[in-house]
Amino acid sequence: MIYGDKSTGVIVQGATGNQGAFHISLMNEYARSVGGRGVVAGVTPGKGGQTVHGVPVYDSVREAAEEHDCTTSVLFVPGFAAGDSIMEAASAGLDLVVAITEGIPVHDTMKALAFAQMEGCCVIGPNCPGTLSPGELKLGIMPPQLAMPGNVGVISRSGTLTYEVVNELTRAGIGQSTIVGIGGDPIIGQTFVDVLERFEQDPQTKAVVLIGEVGGNLEEEGAASTTLPIVGYVAGVSAPPEKRMGHAGAIIEGGEGDARSKISRLTSMGVPVAGKPSEIPALVRELL
Amino acid sequence: MKLLEFEAKDIFKKHGIPVPEGKVVKSPDELYLHMDDFADEVVVKSQVDVGGRGKAGGIIVTKKADVVATATHLFKTPIKGLTAKTLLVEEKLPIEHEYYVSITIDRATRQPMILFAETGGVDIEETARTNPGALRRASFSPLLTEVPGYQMRHLLGSAPRELGPVINALYHAFCASDALLAEINPLVTTTRGVYAADAKLIVDDNALKRQGITVNRDLTPREREAEENGFSYVELDGTIGVIGNGAGLTMSTLDLITHYNGRPANFLDVGGGAGRERVMKAVRLVGGMPGVRVIIVNLLGGITRCDEVARGIIEAGIDQHVITRLAGTNEEEGKAILAKYGYQMLDTMEEVVRAAVEEAEA
Repeated sequence: MIYGDKSTGVIVQGATGNQGAFHISLMNEYARSVGGRGVVAGVTPGKGGQTVHGVPVYDSVREAAEEHDCTTSVLFVPGFAAGDSIMEAASAGLDLVVAITEGIPVHDTMKALAFAQMEGCCVIGPNCPGTLSPGELKLGIMPPQLAMPGNVGVISRSGTLTYEVVNELTRAGIGQSTIVGIGGDPIIGQTFVDVLERFEQDPQTKAVVLIGEVGGNLEEEGAASTTLPIVGYVAGVSAPPEKRMGHAGAIIEGGEGDARSKISRLTSMGVPVAGKPSEIPALVRELL
Repeated sequence: MKLLEFEAKDIFKKHGIPVPEGKVVKSPDELYLHMDDFADEVVVKSQVDVGGRGKAGGIIVTKKADVVATATHLFKTPIKGLTAKTLLVEEKLPIEHEYYVSITIDRATRQPMILFAETGGVDIEETARTNPGALRRASFSPLLTEVPGYQMRHLLGSAPRELGPVINALYHAFCASDALLAEINPLVTTTRGVYAADAKLIVDDNALKRQGITVNRDLTPREREAEENGFSYVELDGTIGVIGNGAGLTMSTLDLITHYNGRPANFLDVGGGAGRERVMKAVRLVGGMPGVRVIIVNLLGGITRCDEVARGIIEAGIDQHVITRLAGTNEEEGKAILAKYGYQMLDTMEEVVRAAVEEAEA
C-alpha cells in the first residue's frame, strides 16, 4: 500500500477511449471486490456529460476534481497528448499520476515530469502497467487474479514479465505487498530508487523483487539505495547492442546498460540475482 | 531514426548554425551543374549512416578538377558495407581549431545534457576513454528554453565565447526536432567564424509523425512490415523464432533460449490485445525468416485472448513446428482449438524453451 489504499479516489484521463473505458470497468470491478472507492470520475476533453460504465465524464481534470474527492489519476491518453495530460493533472492538484500510455515522445515526458515535480505531483510511468496492492487498490492494467496479499514488494520495468514473476511468487505461496511497474521508457517518473524508498517506509514490505532489463543503470542505483533485502532479475542477456528490445528504454547504448554487467554489479553489491524467473521464489524465501 | 549529415545540416542551418557551403548530388554528372560554385579545393562526403566514416575512406579532400572522378569512386565504394545514394560536396574550411559538442537526454537526471570538449574530431571517443576530464558536462531543467549562462561558462572554459550562440542554437534544434542526440563533431573555428563541419541528429521514433517523417529508414524490410502491424521486432540470427506478448516476457524468453544454449532468431512482441489476424501475421512474419526451424509462441493472456491466439496460429499455416505456451484469459478454449489440430502445448516457459532448443539443435 505505498501509493494508496481502499479509500483512494481515482480519476481516469482518456476515459472514453477503448482502453480507458475497458480499464475503468476492470478497476471498478476490483474496487468492488475489495470494498474500495475505485474510479470516481473520468476526463476526456469535449466529452463532458457522458458516462462510462456508470462513471461521470468531465471536460477537464479541474472540473472532475471539484466535483469528486480524488487524489490520483490513471492515464490512457494517446502518446501525442499524454505529456500535456500529465501536466493538467499536476496543475489541478492531484498527488499521483499513473501514465499507462506508451509511445510518448521523450521530450514531452521530460518536460511533463519536470513540471509535475514543481507541482509536487508524483508520476508513475509512462509506458507502464501501473500498480497493484493486492486486496486494496489497483491503478492500471495489472491482472489481479495472479496476485495475492503478502509482504513482498515487486518493482519492474516490464508488464508481462511482472505478471510472470508474480504468478511464480503466488504459486510458491509468497504474497505481495505492492507490485509496481515503473515503465520501459528511457525517462520515467518513479524510479527503482523512489519506489524502494516508499517500500522502506512501508511496514508491510519485508523484501523486494527488482525486475530490470537492459538499458541505463537505474537498477544498480536502486539496489544501492536501500537497506531492504532484494532479489534481482535482469532480462536481456541475449539482447544485441544498439537494438531496441520492445521498450524504448531497453537498448544497450555506447556499451552501457547490458544485462551481464548489470547482473555482475548487482551481485557485487550482495544482491542475489535469479538466472530465470522460476528461480525467484526460492531466492526470496531465503531472505524472509 | 538517424538522419544523414546533409539532412541534419539543413535543420541546423534553419536554427542559425553556420554550416559550410555545399551541394547534394545523387550522381557524378550532377556535379557539372555546380562547378561554378566550387572553390579550388572541396571535400566529398559519402552520405551513409555509419560511424567513423572519415577513417573508413568515406570523406575525401580533392581538387575541383578531380571532383567528378572522386565522386564516381565514392558512389562505387561501400563504406563499412553501405553504399551511398547521395554525396555532399562542400567547401574546404580554413580550420583553426576543432571542438566537440553534443546534446542527449540523460536518464539519471531526466534532463538534457550537453557534452563539450576543447579537442574535437575523429578521435573524440579515444579522448573520452583516455582523458574523461576533457569532456565537460552540463545539464539543466528541460523547462528552460536557453542554456543557462553559468552552465555555458562551465562548458566553454577557456574556449572562445563565440561558440556559445552555436551551442544555444544546437539546443533549439535538439528540442524542435525531438532529437535523442544532436552532435557537431567537429565544431570548428576558422578565420571567417564558427562552423558545424559535421552534423549528426537522431530523431525520437515516437515523434517521427509530428516531425513529418513518414518512413523510418533505420528498419530492414521485415522490421518495417512488423512496424506497420504494430509489432516490436528485432532480427537476430538464430534458429528459434520467438513470439511473445510484452517486451519483458519476450526478452526473457530469448534469454531462456540462450540459457539452454539455443539461438533465438528474433524478438517479436505482438503487443497487448492481439487478435487472430495480428497473431497470424506475426507467425507468418517469423516463419518467413531464413534459418528459422521452430517457433515458440509464449503468451500470457490478460487483454489478449488465448482462443484468438490459437486461431491465428492455425490460420498462419506455416511449415515450421510451432510450440505454444498459452496462459490466462480463455486459456481452455485456446488449448482445445490447438489440440484439435495436433499442436504441441506446454505449461511453462521453461518447458517450451527446452523443447524448442532440442528440436532446433537436432
